[in-house]
Formats: sequence, C-alpha cells, structure tokens
Amino acid sequence: MKPLDDCPLPPGEGAAQQRVRGAHLALLFALVAAPLVAQQPRIASDFEIAQMKQQIERAHDFVSQLSGHLNLGDLYLTRSESATARAEYAKALEIAGHERLSARKASDITRYATATAYAALANAKLGDGAQAFAAAEEAIRYTSGSAKSWNLYSSAMTLLRRPQKAVSAARNAVAIASRELAPSPSVADKLDLAVYEYSLASSLIESGETTEAERLLRTVTSALRSSDFASLRRDVARKESFEIYSSARGDEAAYLSLANRAGLRLASLLEQRSDLGGARSEYERVLELRTDDPTALAALARLSTAGERERYFAAAFDANPFSMALIREYQRHLGAGEAGGAPLSDETTGAQVRKVLVQMHRGERRGAGETLDALLQRFPNNDTLRTLRRETEVTAEAPAFLASKRTNVTPTETELRQLVGALQADKLTPEQRTALDHIVFTSKVTFDAGTTKDGQTIFESGRIGDVRFKFSEPIAFAGSFGMEAKLTYRILGATDSGLLLEPVRLER
Amino acid sequence: MKRAVLLLLLAMNADAQIVATAGSDIALAQDGRVELFDANARRIWSADGVEAPSRIVAGTDRIAVLDSLANAVQLIDRSTGRSQRVRTGETPVDAVFLGRDLFVLSRDASRLERVGGSAVVLAPDPAFVRTANNVIYVYSRLDGVVQEIEPATMRITRTVTLAPFASDFEIDGRTGYLVYPADAKLRTFALSTMKRGSDIAAGAVPVDLAVTRRENALSASRLAIADPSAKRVWITEGEQSVARAIARGFIRGLLGLGLFSPKSSDFPTGVDRVVSRGSMTVAYDSTTQTLYRLQGSKGQVVARDIPPGAFALTDSGVALWQNGALRLIH
Repeated sequence: MKPLDDCPLPPGEGAAQQRVRGAHLALLFALVAAPLVAQQPRIASDFEIAQMKQQIERAHDFVSQLSGHLNLGDLYLTRSESATARAEYAKALEIAGHERLSARKASDITRYATATAYAALANAKLGDGAQAFAAAEEAIRYTSGSAKSWNLYSSAMTLLRRPQKAVSAARNAVAIASRELAPSPSVADKLDLAVYEYSLASSLIESGETTEAERLLRTVTSALRSSDFASLRRDVARKESFEIYSSARGDEAAYLSLANRAGLRLASLLEQRSDLGGARSEYERVLELRTDDPTALAALARLSTAGERERYFAAAFDANPFSMALIREYQRHLGAGEAGGAPLSDETTGAQVRKVLVQMHRGERRGAGETLDALLQRFPNNDTLRTLRRETEVTAEAPAFLASKRTNVTPTETELRQLVGALQADKLTPEQRTALDHIVFTSKVTFDAGTTKDGQTIFESGRIGDVRFKFSEPIAFAGSFGMEAKLTYRILGATDSGLLLEPVRLER
Repeated sequence: MKRAVLLLLLAMNADAQIVATAGSDIALAQDGRVELFDANARRIWSADGVEAPSRIVAGTDRIAVLDSLANAVQLIDRSTGRSQRVRTGETPVDAVFLGRDLFVLSRDASRLERVGGSAVVLAPDPAFVRTANNVIYVYSRLDGVVQEIEPATMRITRTVTLAPFASDFEIDGRTGYLVYPADAKLRTFALSTMKRGSDIAAGAVPVDLAVTRRENALSASRLAIADPSAKRVWITEGEQSVARAIARGFIRGLLGLGLFSPKSSDFPTGVDRVVSRGSMTVAYDSTTQTLYRLQGSKGQVVARDIPPGAFALTDSGVALWQNGALRLIH
C-alpha cells in the first residue's frame, strides 16, 4: 500500500468523478451510453467508493481493511461528508490498533511498526496532532531505515500542517529509497522512489519551497511517462484502470494515482507562477488519464476563455458537485457577470448545485433554499449543502443588537451570520454602523493554526461556531493559548468569507 | 468492554506526563506545567511548562523540558522555579547539560545548538546526544555516524562511521554502544580513538540499551538490552570483555542454554525500554504500559497502566505518575 497524498490538493480537491477511464473506455461510453449518462451521471468518486466498500466486505486482511477505510474517508471528505469521513478514519485507527497489539503478541516487531505508522496517519487524518506525532515517533524508533515508514511520517506531518517535519521525513525516505535502488531496479522500486519524491515535493510546497518542489515534480512526471513504466502503462490501458486512491494498492493503482496527483500539483505550481500555458497542458494531461478529474476540470474552467468556461464548470460540477473551492470559484465567476445564460437545469446533481448558486446570485433565496432542501434529502450528511443552506438563510436585515444601545454583546451565531449578510450587502444604515462601532463583542472562538514564539501566541483567523473570521493581520497575544479561547473584539467589517475583527482581549 | 480496554492500552502518550529525576528530586511535566518534588514526593514548586512535553533533562541548577512537536524548550531554574520558554530548531528530540549550558539536538534541522549561543550542523537525522569527559557525541541515523563536538567551539572534531539506523546510543565513559533492531547487532566504538569496535549479535530485535554498571578496576561495564521480540532483557558485559564471549553469551541465551545468561531476564510481554540507576534496572513495555523490575531470570511487575515516560528511577526506587498522583516505590 502506498500512501500517496494526504496534503490538500489545489482547488477542486482530489478523488475522481464520473465514468471516464482512459481514452478507449471514455470513447466507448460516449458512443454507446451517452443518453443514459446524460440522464443520471454519477459523481466521479462513486466508483471508487463502491470499490472500497467491496474490498472491505470481501478481503479481511489488515492492508485491505486499513486502505479501504482510509480511502473511503478521503473519498467522503472530497464530497464534503466530514462526519462520514471521520467515522472511516476512526475505523482505520481501530484496525491499526488491533494490528499493533496482535503484532506485539506475535513478537513481530516490523509488523508492529508498520501498523503504528498507519495509526499515526489515521490520527493525523482525525486531526489529533499529539497522538499522531507520538505514534509516528514510536514507529520510527523501530524502523528508522524504512523509506515507507518515513513516507508515512511525512504524510502525517503534512496533514498536521508541520511542513518542516514533513520535509525532513520525506528527505529521509527519498535518501533511503535512492540508496536501496539496485543497479537494475524493478518497476516497483522505481515507482516507490517516485512516490517518495512526490511526497517530498508536496511537503516542500507546504513549506513554500516551490523551486525544488517543481523540479521534483518534473522528475516524477517525466519518469512516469518514460519507457521505464511502459509495461505498467500497457497494463493500465489493457485493464482500463482509472481509479485514483490516496492509499493505493498494487503498482497499477499507484501509478495512476501518482500520475494524477503529481500532474495536478505540477500544474498548480505552474499556474501560481503564471505559466498558464504550461499549467493548462499539465491539467490536460491529467484529464487524459481520467477525463472527469474535478480538480483539473475546475482549473481549466479558471484558465479558459469565457466561451469555454461554462462547459468546464459544468463538467467540474458533475464530477464533484460538493467542492467548496469549486463553488466559491463559480460564485466569483457569477459575480464577474460571466455566467451569461447559465442554465437552471435539474438534470444532474452538479447542475442542481449550480442552479442553487445562480439563484443565490440573483437573490432568489427562497428558490435556492427549496433546491437545497431537495438535495439535502438525498445527501443529508453533506457539509457543503448545509453551508449553502445556511447562507440562503442569511438576510440583509441587521441583527437586533444594533438597535439595543448595548455596548457589550455576546452574539449568537445566527446574529453574526445576519451581520455578515448585512455587511456584505452593504445594507447597514449610518446609525447601525455607528452602533456597531461602539459595541465590544465577546465570543468563544476556535482559531486556525497558531504559532507560539517568545512567550506569545500568534493567530490570524478562526471561527465562531461556523462563522469564519480573520484579523487584518496576524496578532501576537501575550501568553500561551490553545485553539479554543474566549475572544473580546470589535467588528470592523466583512470579508468574502466572514467577519473582519479587531481583537481587544484573549482569555483561556 | 474488551475493545475499550484494548484502546486504552494502545493509547499513545497524547496528554503526556514525563517524569525524570533531578539529583535527588523528581520533576514532572504535564498539561503545560512543570513541578518539582523532593525525594518524599513533597511539591517544591510549580512552573510554566510546554504543551506536549517529550523529554526532561536535568542539570545541576536547571531543568529543561522539550516539546518536540512545538519546537520549544522550557528552561527552569531548579532553586526558584523561574521558567523561560526558548524556541529551538525543528523537532528537538534530545538535549544534554554541560555545566549551565544546555545543548539541544534538533533532529529535523540536523543541528545541535547551545541555547543562547552558537549551533553546529550535523549529519542528517541526528537522533541521540550523549556526553563523556566534557565532550559531546551525536549519532545520526541516516549516515550511521557519531560526530564528536567540542562544546567550547561548537566544532566537529572527529567522526566515526558505524552503521545507519541504530535505535539507541549509550556511552560508558570509554566506549560508545549502539543497538540495531533491523540486523540484531550491538556495535561499539572507542571514544579515545573514535575507531569502530566490535559488531556483536544481540538477540532478535534489540531496541533499547542501558549501562547498568560502569567499568571499574575489577570489572567491565555491564549493559542491559531490551528486546521486545524475544521478550527479554539481555545482560552482557561491555567492550572491555572479549567480544567473542559476548557473542557466545547471546547465542547461548538464544538457544536457551543459559550458560551466559543467568542474569538475562524474561518477561511475559515484549519490553522495549530499559532504564538503570544505581543497583536498580527496570524494563518497560509500551504496548501494555507495564513497568517491570529486573529480578533474576524473571521480570517482576512494578506497576501497570503507566504511560511511556511517566516513570523514573530515584536513589531509592521508582517514581511514577499514576492516576493523577506521584507514587514512590522503594
């Protein structure tokens, strides 16, 4: 099993969509099954989810069970079903725990270390930094000479937003795998090394070292296209394989998943440094292997001319209707007045979500709410749909505390959402604005990642319930604070994604 | 019920409690605090600590608590409890005091730094720092080298190449010892010459190492090696004895002949840590969280459900943090 990627992908998020599976099968389906597909297209990750459920049901060995649950968690996460995803990660952690105990009882220390490394990964996916770090260290204690263990360590640290630790671990993995490469290495050995180089590139990107990352990604993508992997490519084509997994089993699955992820990351880097032609070309290469990759489709929508854009958006939404990044991108597209005659179709889930966004853009909140309610009946655990539903509830009416003459307020989440809507729509009267300026608010907040330095804790953003906020710049608070704290603040305004705050005081 | 027990046993040391001895006192780090107790478990002071303590290192007048995850060290004055947080390089995994100076090994920065002073870049993946005769020795796993560092200048003076991927490194004053779980070896080098010594077969999966007796005029050093696969702590003599005799001892022990292993101890579970102080040696199984005392050929249970790091040997017994209280076992 090769854990490929536990880092956030560029907008659109990983996984897969619809039916495409290499050029031949895509063509076949286009000719034979197009009408059927048009009526009821599947979300791209449907197939992988079904495969993983089947794997879990049929194969009871450790690797099958663990990779099945980890992959399911990742697949559900790309579909914004975070509660389901967490349940899958928790199951993976439990399986790793059983394996650790069983291995120790059997005095099989290598198996114990491998299971412990996977426990670290599962803990990291669950967001438990201390547990993940402790497990990763425990695994490395026994297997510091294992490239695989270091790669898992790196993946866990990337997930925990510890890029320097991830880079160091990934460098160890690459160094060990490079040394172990025999004079005539097998395809599997070369693939392993490419996976580790990809992990190193991913962690370098997270730490802002993009030059080395780009060089590595070019090495990986070139290698995958070279004659070294010709036999693997033939197998992929012959079997019409197309699935993309974050924990890939077998060389073909690893090859496909690596080609997909490395291509997307390289394309994203090129896009960031404004090499749009290069980026477009890499995204198109990704689509050659998987024509319904949502990340590549969303990117091509972004990079296309106005005429093509709507078509790519439609394909991206069909591939993954629930990507928040894609939704925000489409809202910007609508805001720029580029949507033209965007269709209000109900044909696919993706079309229905686009319809919601168009309705919201037009101020048709009631209609948008009704469309969302219908979608929520089909996808009740979907975070994206819930978020959009809440956003339709936000009116431009000002919250009551602006008329109460109170100067100290502990607002509810609903009031804050109301205020965000009013500020974003610029609906506050001068009197309400003056009242707002005089109010000091207090809320329990959850900060995003903070850093501690010289007895100070630095925070920049976070959320109050599910209302996001940020400060105008990173603020250093004296003392050591956890992510959860009590914040006293003033409200300066609203950003695209929430409130702009000025902190007054922070308490534990 | 069974599952709950299983998960409890396998829980990592998330809300870590680390216990260490500081002279005859006992230091405890947990929940962002550091506390110092006297030999009778009476609290002397309580000071600010780190969020996730990973190691405590005690000097003559200061205590350092490392937080490997957060890249920080909390330095505390032993007499007053006054504490100061210091940022370190990436992933501080080990540290030593030489006099008042604290030297922190930041693994993922490949760096040894004197807190408040200069730093030296090391071979990749440095994992252990030790001292002998006021000189610092660092073992780096990836290249398998031990680098000798002169603390006054922070320069690497000599290097010896052993083998990569050791899991523990100890020094007995004249000799450096490293254990290798992957190929079941104990490897040695001489501090005086920085030359490689013996490569000795060492059980099945040797993981941890402790010097249980230092060399003297009459006898060689004695080592204890934790081997979780063999569920045994191997006791053997250090480099001064004939290497072949050591190897023979291991082989006989493995064969169950017991000709060299009357002092080796067997355990019901796989112990992976061994700690020694004075005449007492304890072994610990981090999977079942059980602490054993080495007593003859069998390990004797000292305490169960002890998180990793939550115990230390004192002058008169074992100090452990259990169920929210410091316990002393004499």
